[in-house]
Amino acid sequence: MSVLLEIATIIAPLFVIAGIGFAWGRSGMPFDTNMIGGLVVNFAVPCLIFSTLTRLEVDISDFGAAAGVFSLAVGANIVASAILLRLMRRDIGAFLPATVFANNGNMGLPLCLFAFGEEGLALGISIFVVSASANFLLGVSFVSGKLSLRETIKAPHLYVVMAALGFLFAEVQPPAWLANTTYIIGGMSIPLMLIALGVSLARLTVSSFGQSFILGLYRLGFGLGIGLLLSWFFELEGVARGVLILQCAMPSAVLNYIIAARYDRKPDEIAGLVVGSTFVSLATLPLLLLVAMQGPG
Amino acid sequence: MSLFAQLSAIICPIFICAAIGFFWKKTGQGLDPDLVTTLVYKISVPCLIIATFSKVVVTPQALASLGLASIFLLILNGILGALLLRIFRLPFPSYLPAMTFSLVGSMGLPVCLFAYGEEGLAHGLVVFTITSIGTFTVGAALAAGKVSVDKLLKEPAIWAALAAILMIWTGWKLPVWMSNTSWLLGGIAIPLQLISLGASLAQFEVSSLGRAFSLTIVKLGLGFGLGFSLAELFGLSGIPRAVLILQATMPVAVSNYMFAVIYKREPTEVAAMVIVSTAIAAISLPLILAWLLTGG
Repeated sequence: MSVLLEIATIIAPLFVIAGIGFAWGRSGMPFDTNMIGGLVVNFAVPCLIFSTLTRLEVDISDFGAAAGVFSLAVGANIVASAILLRLMRRDIGAFLPATVFANNGNMGLPLCLFAFGEEGLALGISIFVVSASANFLLGVSFVSGKLSLRETIKAPHLYVVMAALGFLFAEVQPPAWLANTTYIIGGMSIPLMLIALGVSLARLTVSSFGQSFILGLYRLGFGLGIGLLLSWFFELEGVARGVLILQCAMPSAVLNYIIAARYDRKPDEIAGLVVGSTFVSLATLPLLLLVAMQGPG
Repeated sequence: MSLFAQLSAIICPIFICAAIGFFWKKTGQGLDPDLVTTLVYKISVPCLIIATFSKVVVTPQALASLGLASIFLLILNGILGALLLRIFRLPFPSYLPAMTFSLVGSMGLPVCLFAYGEEGLAHGLVVFTITSIGTFTVGAALAAGKVSVDKLLKEPAIWAALAAILMIWTGWKLPVWMSNTSWLLGGIAIPLQLISLGASLAQFEVSSLGRAFSLTIVKLGLGFGLGFSLAELFGLSGIPRAVLILQATMPVAVSNYMFAVIYKREPTEVAAMVIVSTAIAAISLPLILAWLLTGG
């Protein structure tokens, strides 16, 4: 009973806030996703990253380990997805990003925060930075068919992580004005991301699920499997294990749809993949949390 | 921490957030005011009220005296403002709301939070809630020429304030998931309010800065005098006193401009007052804070 209550406590904020966005999207009231997205990507998330990392004094080795192990998961996922897509005779360039890159920001970060506290959020951010950078770099490259560093260099995440690591390495506290400013701006990111996620889910029109749905299930299942395998292999425990498993098993990122729409490569089917995997993931979230939170620590 | 570091820790976040909004607008990017208003006032502010009061322990007596003091602050501000406008021979509907209602939300709340922590924020929210009620009833009535109560009842912040009063009174606590949810959603209010403040300042068309300057100086001086004397009168000390004085000396609220636009009451004059008073606050606010923080 207490475990169920704990899980309900973790997922309720996510459902309520994404639900507000969903209702907003369905009501037809205008919601300028470009404006909210611009504020979140350019200001709120960089501030959240900086504020969380410098405030918490995370162990840099843990931070690096989470990023490293997650990179292995992404690598394994790319190989497995390519094989699966070849077997299914699907367009690898169009579908691979959507089966590999998950919603580690919108959905992953609030889950890490509520399941494992601020320490979970810090490790979740480490994974999110790897995931977002790779999603910009490889996602755009696969879909557009040519290697493009532009989006990756333009995204502020990496620079902010470097600045935060600078403070951590020098063992200097950022000045109070900077800490307060980034804390308060960073506070917008999780709720705005969740509301925007809800709006996107309500607005994405899905013509037919079909094979996209199977690929969505693959995203969730393979993610969970590789997360469990890697955490077992590297003998991860407690928060590090839980965060890795959660982040690996997130549904396909909304960003994949945005990129697919921009380059017009099967946006409808990618939308089906994103929406399908997100709804399945929301329904199976309690089980995922049960797996991620049990075990040592 | 030196006084300078302490002051910059309070002031910088406010001006940096407003600057983001200012340059966002200046670089030609849109900031849909309806979206911001709905996010901030219908969703985030009510959550901020509930989250803060479910976390901070305050006695009903302390809140009641601060609440009464803020009601008197508004009334006296209105009466004295009206007298001054009569002396200046300026029309009430255009200028009186601007003389009465201050920026107790987007600027007042972060100042209270960073100067006095979450307890400061809780007290700042009391003044904010009462000022909002005043703005939506009397302020709108002054500008529109008629009172509307049903508008007030549609404001979720009012219901959140009632819930907060109930929680303080009975000692009830919210379940963890509800306080987590409202705490998260409440995080949108302050930064987004400040960003939209900056964006508003970027698009204002102003006129007659000279008159705005003298009216603003009078307004800020009047606010400080009223805040100081009402704190004495109601026996406030410590955080409630500091919060009342700070909130009383906030610049002219942007909502006055919105009303002036809707009801066509010389919006460019009101805009000038908002801009000039915000610019003056960049100087007056650190001075007042320095005085309060060094035991004034």
